[in-house]
Amino acid sequence: MLLKLLIFPGFLFLFLCALFFDWVDRRMLARFQGRVGPPWYQPVADLIKLLAKEDILPTGVNPLTAAVLPMVSLAAVLTAGLYIPFGAFSTASFEGDLIVVLFLLSIPALAYFLAGWISTGVYSVLGGSRALLQYFSYEVPFLMALAGPAILAGSWSITHIVDYQSQTIWIALMQPLGFVLAIIGLIGKLKRDPLDIPKAKSEVVAGSLTEFSGRKLALWHLTMNMQTVVGIFLLVNLFMGQSSVFGPIPAFLSFGLKSVGILLLLSTASALYARLRIDQLATLGWRVLAPLALVQILVATWIGG
Amino acid sequence: MSKITVPIGPQHPLLKEPLAFSLTLEGEHVIESAMRLGYVHRGIERLSQERTYVQNVHLFERVCGICSHIHTTTYCQGVEALLGLEVPPRGLYLRALLCELERIHSHLLWLGVQARNIGFDTIFMYAWRDREIVLDIMEDLSGGRVSHAVNIIGGVRIDLTTEHRDVILRQLDTLEPQIETLLDVVENERSFQARTRNIGVLSLEQIRRYCVVGPVARASGLDMDLRRDAPTPPYDRLKFRVPVRYEGDAWARTMVRMLETVESVHLCRQILTTLPDGPTSVRAKRRVPPGEVVSRAEAPRGEVIYYIRSDGSDKPARVKVRTPTLTNLITLPDQLQNISMADVSVVLSGVDLCIACADR
Repeated sequence: MLLKLLIFPGFLFLFLCALFFDWVDRRMLARFQGRVGPPWYQPVADLIKLLAKEDILPTGVNPLTAAVLPMVSLAAVLTAGLYIPFGAFSTASFEGDLIVVLFLLSIPALAYFLAGWISTGVYSVLGGSRALLQYFSYEVPFLMALAGPAILAGSWSITHIVDYQSQTIWIALMQPLGFVLAIIGLIGKLKRDPLDIPKAKSEVVAGSLTEFSGRKLALWHLTMNMQTVVGIFLLVNLFMGQSSVFGPIPAFLSFGLKSVGILLLLSTASALYARLRIDQLATLGWRVLAPLALVQILVATWIGG
Repeated sequence: MSKITVPIGPQHPLLKEPLAFSLTLEGEHVIESAMRLGYVHRGIERLSQERTYVQNVHLFERVCGICSHIHTTTYCQGVEALLGLEVPPRGLYLRALLCELERIHSHLLWLGVQARNIGFDTIFMYAWRDREIVLDIMEDLSGGRVSHAVNIIGGVRIDLTTEHRDVILRQLDTLEPQIETLLDVVENERSFQARTRNIGVLSLEQIRRYCVVGPVARASGLDMDLRRDAPTPPYDRLKFRVPVRYEGDAWARTMVRMLETVESVHLCRQILTTLPDGPTSVRAKRRVPPGEVVSRAEAPRGEVIYYIRSDGSDKPARVKVRTPTLTNLITLPDQLQNISMADVSVVLSGVDLCIACADR
């Protein structure tokens, strides 16, 4: 059990995946933009460099809160990772774990907001309030989109939803609308281009993390990368679960390929669009995404029921 | 909601040159703005009175880091008028060639900065990659990518062979479709439009009141371009269109600049194919007869004016430079009223500020 928790498919595996996905993402984005991109060890080098840097805290900031926030969000993401099966391997599973995972995955967003709020810098405060606004815009359509597969499979357990798909086809093919909404929601959750509004460089410098440095910043970056991995794994499980499409390819390999496929979608979206404004995102979230997600849920209830 | 004051600059990721803004925000809404200039004042105008006319050519090249050639062109034009010099046509054509190349380079650079500010990094990378072609052409011509030191009083110091001309024409052929791709994105990409349409709108009346020049004025419907309205040779013999749009917003400014870039490529081709034979420069005397002159030219950002007064010695008695950025800066407080914090970057980069030019 301890081995499962710490090595595979637990912390070490997620950590390596985070670094690998970060590199794949940067490399693909660079190729889209006509650049070469970094070598494979760049994410490791960045992490080590940041860990070794001086940790500066501005006056007026509670040192305990500033230290705890990145740790809490990293812990939340790692715990969420435990309940998400990787191919045929899973650490833990119970009926209702999808809800726990979704709850755990929303903790970093709140921690990110708090990180801006406790800071004394104006850019951090602006970035923090933007992060909260963004949270309200993407989270509802995201949750509703993820409820689709659960309703269809008649279970709130990720493992059950995966099993359901091995009897039928991918839910992404049954609910293409829900899949697209979940991808958009995930982009918002990960604060990636084009929804990197809370950390828009030309507007709020680095948002909540402007005043962070050294080890704490490294932990924040690691959290973001881990969140990317966990989010993608979650989507693969819910929408492109175990199925016979890949034939003789071993389950963990096909799972990895599907994850990189979703990562490719995310990188393409970063390369293709300009950043939205926060009011445009709110309009998009509540006027377009949320009603569409509602339609998807109604359809799923109709089919599933 | 409580008000907060956000400093933008002198150091901020959105600014490429030092300029300071103090924005008062209510939530995400800008209600007040105060501007501070002068961080890169180098006293160039005063310094020019200590140097000879010949040395000043190199001094005025340093006014701007992007449109360096147009500054020396305007300065040389003025001094040549004072001297009564007749510059050979080949010299004038080569000068104009560099001017147009510089316009392409400046507009592509600007497009990259604008795209970067709205989080569209792909366009930033593409624009700057395409800009490299122009920089290569300029480096082959003069030896410098940005500071060319091509102009001398009485003409230009460079010349080009027929083979070299063909090489440049081929490079322009690769450049043109790439610029058209960028133009297509600007014109049709919806997320680009969502960030630039109806942002920083200036009416024709405001343009007239503030004496705004260049692409910013042309984007608000003021049909004005010195190359056509007061042509210096060889522009009187070249055919080109002056793109004008009427929306007056950041998107119209982008469109005007991109259409101008396409026109400049055409102009470069015309100049290269109709390049007259003969010498590229004539000898100029060191001492300039007393008198005063106003020299004007269309820089990438708009009309640049040099006023030169001579007292008969080999040093100018006074040189006054008025750069386009200086007039366009004045519109910023108007544009920054009642916009979202997120649009500040679009507005600031929309006018294509060159702070080094404005401060001198």
